[in-house]
Amino acid sequence: MIGIEHYLAVAAALFVIGIFGIFLNRKNVIVILMSVELMLLAVNINLVAFSAHLGDLVGQVFTMFVLTVAAAEAAIGLAILVCFFRNRGTIAVEDVNVMKG
Amino acid sequence: MTLTAFAFYVFAITVVTSGLFVVVSKNPVHSVLWLILSFLSSAGLFVLLGAEFVAMLLVIVYVGAVAVLFLFVVMMLDVDFAELKAEMAKYVPLALLIGVVLLMQLGMVLGTWTSSEAAMDLRGAVAPAIEGTHNTAALGRLIYDDYIYLFQAAGLILLVAMIGAIVLTLRHRPNIKRQNVMAQMHRDPAKAMELKDMKPGQGL
Amino acid sequence: MISSDISTVLPEIVLAVFAMGALMFAVYTGKDKTAPMILWLTAMVLAGIGIWVAISGNGSRVAFGGAFVDDAFSRYAKVIILLSASAILLMSQDYMTKRGLMLFEFPILVALAVVGMMMMVSAGDLMALYMGLELQSLSLYVVAALRRDSVKSTEAGLKYFVLGALSSGLLLYGASLTYGFAGTTLFSGIITTVEAGHVPLGMLFGLVFIAAGLAFKVSAAPFHMWTPDVYEGSPTPVTAFFATAPKIAAMGLFARVLYDAFGNAVADWSQILAFLSVASMFLGAVAAIGQRNIKRLMAYSSIAHMGFALMGLASGTVFGVQAMLVYMAIYVTMNIGTFAFILSMEKDGQPVTDIDSLNMYSKHDPLRAVAMMVLLFSLAGVPPLVGFFGKYYVLLAAVQAGMSWLAIAGVVASVIGAFYYLRIVYFMYFGEEGDMLDKAKSPILWGFLMASAAIMVVGVVNLFGIEGFAAAAAETLVR
Repeated sequence: MIGIEHYLAVAAALFVIGIFGIFLNRKNVIVILMSVELMLLAVNINLVAFSAHLGDLVGQVFTMFVLTVAAAEAAIGLAILVCFFRNRGTIAVEDVNVMKG
Repeated sequence: MTLTAFAFYVFAITVVTSGLFVVVSKNPVHSVLWLILSFLSSAGLFVLLGAEFVAMLLVIVYVGAVAVLFLFVVMMLDVDFAELKAEMAKYVPLALLIGVVLLMQLGMVLGTWTSSEAAMDLRGAVAPAIEGTHNTAALGRLIYDDYIYLFQAAGLILLVAMIGAIVLTLRHRPNIKRQNVMAQMHRDPAKAMELKDMKPGQGL
Repeated sequence: MISSDISTVLPEIVLAVFAMGALMFAVYTGKDKTAPMILWLTAMVLAGIGIWVAISGNGSRVAFGGAFVDDAFSRYAKVIILLSASAILLMSQDYMTKRGLMLFEFPILVALAVVGMMMMVSAGDLMALYMGLELQSLSLYVVAALRRDSVKSTEAGLKYFVLGALSSGLLLYGASLTYGFAGTTLFSGIITTVEAGHVPLGMLFGLVFIAAGLAFKVSAAPFHMWTPDVYEGSPTPVTAFFATAPKIAAMGLFARVLYDAFGNAVADWSQILAFLSVASMFLGAVAAIGQRNIKRLMAYSSIAHMGFALMGLASGTVFGVQAMLVYMAIYVTMNIGTFAFILSMEKDGQPVTDIDSLNMYSKHDPLRAVAMMVLLFSLAGVPPLVGFFGKYYVLLAAVQAGMSWLAIAGVVASVIGAFYYLRIVYFMYFGEEGDMLDKAKSPILWGFLMASAAIMVVGVVNLFGIEGFAAAAAETLVR
């Protein structure tokens, strides 16, 4: 029988892969954005699983809002990325030495 | 193993492996394609959970729009990705450490998940799934009624995304010839052409 | 039902409708030629709504089934947010026009960000929290990258975006765990599932993830790494905006989540906050010492100040929240004045941000130098200026809550931090002769600088009665 724990485990694995991807691809912003999308997907799996487990639709409503915001976020992120690329000709954030942390 | 359980394992394994390939593959185009597979199989998971509408949204909005947007940007920016990937090995130990520690912690918590006893009473008070109503209709009742405030806020967020994308990327280049339909239609042979009589054997 | 809901959120609706109307107007008429007018109009509308919020409501009301809370706390935060955003807009006009950044989208995005901030401090539901936060953040990512032909500005936008998106992801994961445990997203429902003094493991994880996500937004160490780069790279008026209104909104949201949703578990989160507070105070104080760029210096200064404000929150008492609110109001006033000064720093018409350029500024323009000195002393927390009272309140709150070690750490950090503020004063009065800055001309910047400095001196008498409002606000939040 598939219980809530199974879904939560999938979501946790996906969330960790997302964070892993952000650290792994520190130079490649496009893949970082995709990793963020994976994290949000993990959150959505969590929310829908809880929604089904509790028999409460609010989780699914939350998921819809997360989807909306994630789409808006992707649009803005890619717009900033395109701008950055036009200025520098690369999308690597790490070899940026204009400003030092 | 029932069919549901089988479907769950197929989808779950696909989600996780394709997620992993998103972050490790060398070519970002492949990453986007793996991302699409990941979205599609999690839509399968949502269907198993009885959330058809969200599953469809995921396919339409994510695969249809967001993933294509990613693909578009990857194609548009002419980046030497091999160079970017070359130094990836440097970060593997740190990233793996963080990932494994976090996964173990989450495993500890989620292995024995319990909801509070009060949760059952609370959810009854908020938005129980209405018996005999289709998932889409039930969600519609919620977002256009109880959650209208957040629905409008979502509209504002999309507006900001639109303004942002335009303000950052739209450029009016002054030296480009643009098509002007009205001017084209009002062209007049008398003004556009000049007829000259040419004597044979003479240049103009 | 719906009409009472709408009347409760009327200020937000008016602001959002104004932003949309202004957008339509500008797009269909003169585009960027209308920008100065829209900027002034937006500043007026923000100030007007600020005054309206200040004098209108009383009591506590909830709307939309608890997703929106209008009480003394949210009104206090909203008034500061609206007035500071209005002041920053007025200050930015001169700079933006000179640098060719006078886009009509700028005031509109600021107005929409303010709508998001108002939603944040009024949030009564995890979903409302998230939507408000994202409305604010998305607008801020765009304004950070507003100078789109500059490498620094777009890089600032990109860094801010990547780390902001990561923090939103953490926060959302926490929210989903909290929802899964409590079975509801309403704060009023979540608090009933937390038994006093005992938080189950799942909920605790949710709380930790939410706290981490919000710590990013208030730029508390160790989640501060975006702050210096974003402050340095963004256009200066945008930096000034980042240093003021979003900080209040994020701090207000932090307080609201902790008290409204997890108010029964003070012992569990107060340790987390105490850690964030100590780390931010020391990091802000130590890392600022090496900075030569005044915008970066202000970034570290804001990290340290957030540490002090978090100290008030960590104490977990009514007085602690009151101290935090007073502290934030004082912090914003000081920053408006300081940025009015930074915005007027120019050499040959170009903005300069190097602190060496301030050498012997006192000879050049004594009045401004005095005003800036007062502000810097106040930022450092030197008695008897108003900035000292802000620090005194939070330290007192920590001591009263039995966290004397935290208060001692705060005193040590503020002594270390005083060094770099005083070094600027030293440069201004005893530095070497060098190239002089241009004579500052803008009367608006002069006005804000002088007003802010005057408040720092005159406010010593009774802090303009702000304690009373803060106390009332704190009481509605802490039950």
